[in-house]
Amino acid sequence: MRLAIGWFSLAVAIFLTIVIQEFIPPLRFLHGARVFLVPMLFCYGALSMPFWAMLLMAIYTGLLTDLAHLNVVNGHVEIALGWSIVVFVFFGLFAHGLQPAFVRGRWWVHVPLSLVCTCVFLALQFVMISFRRQGIFFNETVAWRILAPGVIAAGFAPLVHLAVLKIAPYVHGPTRLRPFRRIRQ
Amino acid sequence: MSRLNVILVIMVIIGAVVISSFGATAMQRLQAGFLSVISPFLKTGSAVQRQIGAMGEGLQTLDQLERENEELKAENKELRASNQIYRDLEAENSKLRSALEYRKRSIFKLLPARIISRDASAWWSTVRINRGFEDGVESDQPVLTDMGLVGKTTTVAKNESIVLLISDESCKVASKVEGSNERGILSGRRIGEGEVPTEMQLNFLSKKANLQPGQKVYTEGVAKGTSTGVFPSGIFLGTVKSFQARPLDGQAIVEPAVDLSTVEDVFVVVGAK
Repeated sequence: MRLAIGWFSLAVAIFLTIVIQEFIPPLRFLHGARVFLVPMLFCYGALSMPFWAMLLMAIYTGLLTDLAHLNVVNGHVEIALGWSIVVFVFFGLFAHGLQPAFVRGRWWVHVPLSLVCTCVFLALQFVMISFRRQGIFFNETVAWRILAPGVIAAGFAPLVHLAVLKIAPYVHGPTRLRPFRRIRQ
Repeated sequence: MSRLNVILVIMVIIGAVVISSFGATAMQRLQAGFLSVISPFLKTGSAVQRQIGAMGEGLQTLDQLERENEELKAENKELRASNQIYRDLEAENSKLRSALEYRKRSIFKLLPARIISRDASAWWSTVRINRGFEDGVESDQPVLTDMGLVGKTTTVAKNESIVLLISDESCKVASKVEGSNERGILSGRRIGEGEVPTEMQLNFLSKKANLQPGQKVYTEGVAKGTSTGVFPSGIFLGTVKSFQARPLDGQAIVEPAVDLSTVEDVFVVVGAK
């Protein structure tokens, strides 16, 4: 039951984040970089959930992300639906490897993990559309648009942890709250 | 990792590969369903954003006057947009009066729409509007304002549609330059190219075109059925900012007629009147 509450809370949070991101304008001072917090939220779930729940979350997050960003031009899909599921599964596997540290109270592993996953996700997206278009290229703007969302996501990661700490006493979710209990002690 | 977990991972990846093999139409249908689900959230968010924006501007007028003013503004924009198409069609009609298909060219029906959100992705330039197939919108219909072309619809849901902006690299528009015989393909610039993100490039011009800054660029209006045949002829696209001759062709940088980063009210060309 606790796991179900945790899973659905995270699923709702990811859904709302996808909606809210639509209203955040590009950050001009960061070369038009966007706020992209979905991988950060997914990583939090992957760090704290059992394996099968993480896989379900990867399917859900990947599908939602692809549906939100699907771009069809003249009958051609630039990035096919489903590729994000594969990417999130790999992120989840990586995060799961770090779960023992997270459970032991090292909550901060979520911060670099969020940075890496966000940047890798955007970089992969960029590589795929570049190949679809006129071939790969790289410039300062592309670098900013990949790195800045990662840094922003990493900045938000402790806030998510704090929010879960506040909510945990009420719902005991998402799942394994031992790290949070230790911190609270 | 246990054997069961490995099997689960393989099954999920196979499932994802199966999903990725869906056709574009099936994917668009799924996306339309997703758009319908998030639509209430987007509309609420859009309304809140507008209210906050209005408060920020410090505009405090009587509700009734404000509503009336909004209606008049919308009507004015619609008339101006209609006028532009009338003017362009009139000019074209006078040239092609004897052409056999002139009857097919008629005045377009404009459907007012509002941009409810902008794509949160870093790589695409799209917006979502509050009109869908229930309002008569179909995919690949031009979207414009009284100032000029904005883009074209791609995925169409029940009450929402996605509009691919002309500043996107993948949106190609057959174009002609005022005061010359030059024709080319207008598209968005690659990410990070140019000083302004919404600047566009007009390619495949002749090397000797020698276009001057300020020359206007309009849609060419290639026959329907081709990849560039979505847009009617004569819609204003933007003005030439600079021109450079390249080894094989000429390229002009074009400033869009519409400020795509701030535009809020648009019209969808849903057909002939």
